[in-house]
Amino acid sequence: MEGVSYQRFPKIKIREVKDDFMKFELRETDASIANALRRIMIAEVPTIAIDLVEIEVNSSVLNDEFISHRLGLVPLTSERAMSMRFSRDCDACDGDGQCEYCSVEFYLRVKCLSDQTLDVTSKDLLSSDHTVVPVDYSDTSSSFDNTPNKGIIIVKLRRGQELRLRAIARKGIGKDHAKWSPAATVTFMYEPEIYINEDMMESLTLEEKTELVESSPTKVFGIDPENKQVIVVDPEAYTYDDEVLKKAEAMGKPGVVEIHAKEDSFIFTVETTGAVKASQLVLNAIEVLKQKLDAVRLSDDTVEADDQFGELGAHMRGG
Amino acid sequence: MNAPDRYERFVVPEGVKKVSYERDTKIMNAATFTVEREDHTIGNIVRMQLHRDDNVLFAGYKLPHPLQYKILLRIQTTSQSSPMQAYNQAINDLDKELDHLKSQFEGELAKHTRDY
Repeated sequence: MEGVSYQRFPKIKIREVKDDFMKFELRETDASIANALRRIMIAEVPTIAIDLVEIEVNSSVLNDEFISHRLGLVPLTSERAMSMRFSRDCDACDGDGQCEYCSVEFYLRVKCLSDQTLDVTSKDLLSSDHTVVPVDYSDTSSSFDNTPNKGIIIVKLRRGQELRLRAIARKGIGKDHAKWSPAATVTFMYEPEIYINEDMMESLTLEEKTELVESSPTKVFGIDPENKQVIVVDPEAYTYDDEVLKKAEAMGKPGVVEIHAKEDSFIFTVETTGAVKASQLVLNAIEVLKQKLDAVRLSDDTVEADDQFGELGAHMRGG
Repeated sequence: MNAPDRYERFVVPEGVKKVSYERDTKIMNAATFTVEREDHTIGNIVRMQLHRDDNVLFAGYKLPHPLQYKILLRIQTTSQSSPMQAYNQAINDLDKELDHLKSQFEGELAKHTRDY
């Protein structure tokens, strides 16, 4: 029954990792895997977001639904999301909060008592669980930036206005609502391979070389100041715009540069909202894809039902 | 008011099978798999993996309609194999590929976090 394996062994090289950003190379696999990972990072890696709001008092200028919507879009730290339950699958509760497996409760109680406008921000949200809190965007890595971090503004209040509410955050995925997407941007590009035909390039004058170099809208090529040769400065700046190739053709020198996309090499950039770390997002995406593959395995009863036709099948196969 | 629930896009309704299999009545070793609540993410990787199998003569998938949350995957194989065998093989291979990818990524990440 076991056939030959057609498994691949992809390679990964990480170029840069920060908390909410990363860049890496994925090699020796095809675009379907790269695209599946991208799609899952955007729409299927779970996070936690406010999903239910009970408003007690709202005398602000924004209406209840407007504020609820804004609360939903506040990114919450979601390291715990992978091990949490979806509230619709949770047996332990009836899905309206105060359940440790599927929800987190938040309170917001603010009243403006001064003549100065009061900003209600994500920092005023009080969480019942210290692992699930609004993401802190104060940048500790750069010392020159010392503007005090104020959080995300939800609404502004003037004297006498008040906002009092209870909110429940739940686990969800970006496919359900974009507020649950952990990804700010996830992109991949094919790695370009650029060849310069040195012999043909020799036949060009310096002006022609400069013209060719400048025909590219992005800085892919340059001219070596030493020996006036055309060199590739940054192959990844190439946007597959074909401008240089068109220029070469117009100059009557087709083939002076050749550019190919390596079909099995991808350069990924991943940026997150801060709900999970960029590196964790990639790992979670791999895990989610594995779970999805597991879910589409044939169940035993499907195989059995087919086996009943086994004889007919063998007959049809000419056995 | 009568909008369907958003979760209908990814939660398989009760009494519906995630994967069903239907043998082709006219062509030998051909079958259609109907996968409920899946899209291009799964459809495309399984199809591309099936193309690597020498015994697979045809493999294709379609998302019949954007509001019907299912995909149809059609496979035809040589007499050396069967659509079901090819399908299982493709999923096993993809699963192992992802295991490999995960360990590769973790290894690389450990190298980078140490450098900090």
